Amino acid sequence: MYYYNLLNNDEILMYIYLPIAEQPIHSLAILGVGAFLGLIMGLVGVGGGFLLTPIMMFLGIPPPVAVASVANQLVAPSVSGVLSHWKRSNVDFKMGTVLLLGGVAGSSIGVILFNFLGKIGQLDFVIKSSYVIFLTIIGSLMFAESLRLILRTRKGKISRGKLHQHNWLHGLPFKIRFRKSKLYISILLPILIGVIVGIFAALMGIGGGFIIVPAMIYLLGMPTSLVVGTSLFQIIFVAANTTILQASQNQTVDIVLATILLLGSVIGVQVGSRFTNILRGEYLRLILSSIIILVSLKLLIDLITVPSDLFSVIISR
Amino acid sequence: MNYFFHINIFFLILFLTSNTYAQNQIVADLSQENVKISTDFQGAKILLFGAYDGQKGDDIIVIVTGPKGLVTVQKKEKILGVWVNTRKVNYINSPKYLSISSNRKIEEILNKKTQKISEIGLNNLKIRMQPGIKVENEKEWRQALTRNMLKSNLWSINENSVSLNKDALFRSYLELPSNVITGQFEVKILHYRDSKLVSQQINSINVSKSGISEEIYNIAQNYSTLYGIFAVLLAVLVGWGSNLVFRKV
Repeated sequence: MYYYNLLNNDEILMYIYLPIAEQPIHSLAILGVGAFLGLIMGLVGVGGGFLLTPIMMFLGIPPPVAVASVANQLVAPSVSGVLSHWKRSNVDFKMGTVLLLGGVAGSSIGVILFNFLGKIGQLDFVIKSSYVIFLTIIGSLMFAESLRLILRTRKGKISRGKLHQHNWLHGLPFKIRFRKSKLYISILLPILIGVIVGIFAALMGIGGGFIIVPAMIYLLGMPTSLVVGTSLFQIIFVAANTTILQASQNQTVDIVLATILLLGSVIGVQVGSRFTNILRGEYLRLILSSIIILVSLKLLIDLITVPSDLFSVIISR
Repeated sequence: MNYFFHINIFFLILFLTSNTYAQNQIVADLSQENVKISTDFQGAKILLFGAYDGQKGDDIIVIVTGPKGLVTVQKKEKILGVWVNTRKVNYINSPKYLSISSNRKIEEILNKKTQKISEIGLNNLKIRMQPGIKVENEKEWRQALTRNMLKSNLWSINENSVSLNKDALFRSYLELPSNVITGQFEVKILHYRDSKLVSQQINSINVSKSGISEEIYNIAQNYSTLYGIFAVLLAVLVGWGSNLVFRKV
């Protein structure tokens, strides 16, 4: 006999019970968050997961479920993004494949590490502190870079540097040629980058775009035009691998949460990518980097302020 | 309207016939015995009502206990400026839901000793630590368990929430929060007279997932790899589909 509702019927429809997270959540809020992050992804090319996972945690989704479900949702905007970059011939599939081999290995290691940290009760701490470190570094680099670009274009100078810098890393053995990227470098370097990004991707519920994009530009020396498409290509596989492993090992993928998020994000990505030519990239990056810095500050404050209760409970399901 | 009409009829019949029952008996029923967690689940509020063979000054205590199992309490300590979980205690048979309701303050109904013996009260429940765990301050950990369970709304104490009528009828609302754990819930109704247990009755509530929620949960548990592959394929399809749709726009 269903005679009592805590909320009226209009509100009931908005709330949806998440079967894996085991709690109700406001579906429009989640749709909106997904759309907002999709918009950022479409505009800037990076930035889905690394903002989405902390926001999910702020909304009270348990970190393991947040990480696994965000990995799942990342597949959709990545597929969508790769398809549109592919059309403009902005994907280096050879480089992408090498990166994803490392990425799949790395994300598998990441899920194992994730399990281990969960068992010893340090998962929340490691996720949050990884975020603080990464977001602070990326946020401040991005902020400085975009500010410099803005100031430079104000002065009216447009400088053109070398095609790319060579460093000792390029001299490692097993060199192969990446025609599309106009590179002749050791295969070990992209594999290694893939592995490291994969580990953090699995651990933090991110695609790793914000780590791999700078690595591709500064360490590999890839042409900027290819970077976003290629990184999205490898993210599809890293995120897919993480999702399947998280689902089979930990049963933490909430398909309802992921689906609402991805519906929002694919719309956001499309809208965002339409505006990239209208809005100035460096201003966007300045705004995005400010958001990143704010999120990392919030996480940092959570870690260093005295908790209101030193004790917490975990209820095994 | 209709519903309360039926209830009233039910109460009336009960009241009129209560003398025919044997002495010292409780009859109780619940407005809902099966709670289904479906996609629109927001928590449930269940009416518990019934009749008892009472005298002036009698008391009713209602204890609802959910499934029992492992609950871990963690403690944070400051290491190098950040707060990290450093120690934990596993309670192996902690109720994952507990609500204690009564018609007046429990301390007015029972003295401390009786409360302890009959395990009434949040801190009187015998909850065992995992064997082999040694902590200096056991009480502090146990209080932390109680405090955090109360904060999550999974445990509650509602004194004055059982309403009595003419020393014959009682009713009380049981609230299950939206984060409630599935399983069998025991509803124990205790009737006290001068601090002595006169009669009791046990009912039960079954909380389970239902509909799409249940199916998704079961598939995720039993066919976890397939579930993961399906989740990925769904995401690929939506990503691809959105590209097709938006290309034309």
